[in-house]
Amino acid sequence: MARPNDLTRESFDNIFLDLSSSSGRCRFAENGFGWKPSGGGDTFTLDASNIGGAQWSRAAKGYEVKVVLRGQVASLGGIVMLDGFVLEDFERLGKVFKNWYSTNLEHKEHALRGWNWGKGEFGKSELAFNVQNRPAFEIPYSEISNTNLAGKNEVAVEFSLPPNGDDTGTNGALGGARGKGKKAGAGKDQLVEMRFYIPGVTTKKEAMEGEDA
Amino acid sequence: NENGAAVKKFKRFESYKRDNQFPPRVRDLAIVMDQKNSTVVLPIMGRPVPFHIQTIKNASKSDEGDFAFLRINFLSPGQGVGRKDDQPFEDASAHFVRSLTFRSHDGDRLQDIANQIGNMKKDAVKREQEKKEMED
Repeated sequence: MARPNDLTRESFDNIFLDLSSSSGRCRFAENGFGWKPSGGGDTFTLDASNIGGAQWSRAAKGYEVKVVLRGQVASLGGIVMLDGFVLEDFERLGKVFKNWYSTNLEHKEHALRGWNWGKGEFGKSELAFNVQNRPAFEIPYSEISNTNLAGKNEVAVEFSLPPNGDDTGTNGALGGARGKGKKAGAGKDQLVEMRFYIPGVTTKKEAMEGEDA
Repeated sequence: NENGAAVKKFKRFESYKRDNQFPPRVRDLAIVMDQKNSTVVLPIMGRPVPFHIQTIKNASKSDEGDFAFLRINFLSPGQGVGRKDDQPFEDASAHFVRSLTFRSHDGDRLQDIANQIGNMKKDAVKREQEKKEMED
């Protein structure tokens, strides 16, 4: 058996998978990548054929690689988040995705202005709130439990959460990683609900009626 | 304006220019108050998201069952209740985040954050008024 060498594998430590409570080691190879919690337990793996795209952004622990999925991995909710990279990893990771997965690691800069106005846009697996054409945040559809029209021009979005805070709602074997429908439960403060003001619908209707009159 | 009435103008503001300006504590996926930059950083799906104090209307804490809740209301059009809605907006035809609600087991901490947001808001309003008086 040939031992893997530096040219066939790239390895990164202190990486968090899907907002996991503990960090682990992330290894990339030509046939896909894996993440193993440092405290021991099951390893998460993803086949290269399921990688549909990748984005590089600033996140909570450090820099994040968000892998956009394709193919028969619908149970994962459309994306896989790997947080905890350092700025200097970008070049190495860019080569990994380009050479092994024929994908560009797209550098996605987020809006940092601190504004609460922009444009909600529906992507393939996420709702993005864009401020001056940069996302301020994204909401994976898999994390939304309910939406309703809460008032005139007001839309409420509710998030999936474990019934009590002690229930991590996660597969403990994956180092507390938070897969589909569990992400809002990570962290000290858990997002429960978000309300948007969406103008125009009523106003347009009124304007049209005004024209008719 | 032409009638001599004072027209409130929208003034631009900005929390951060670069992503290395976040306070280090955003790692914890918790709400972080950044006094220096008049900003509240909120954890949304694993990402620290800054909201400048000038976007915030108020914050309130409540308790329900085992959890404490913090609701942050933001300024958005169409909220003028019982009086003229004279809040200026840069783009009133945009979509707005109107409120965000978080829950936690640590009610004392959420109350503390609600108080800090209230104080930060008061300070920001005071600074604006002082600036205006200087200009007049």
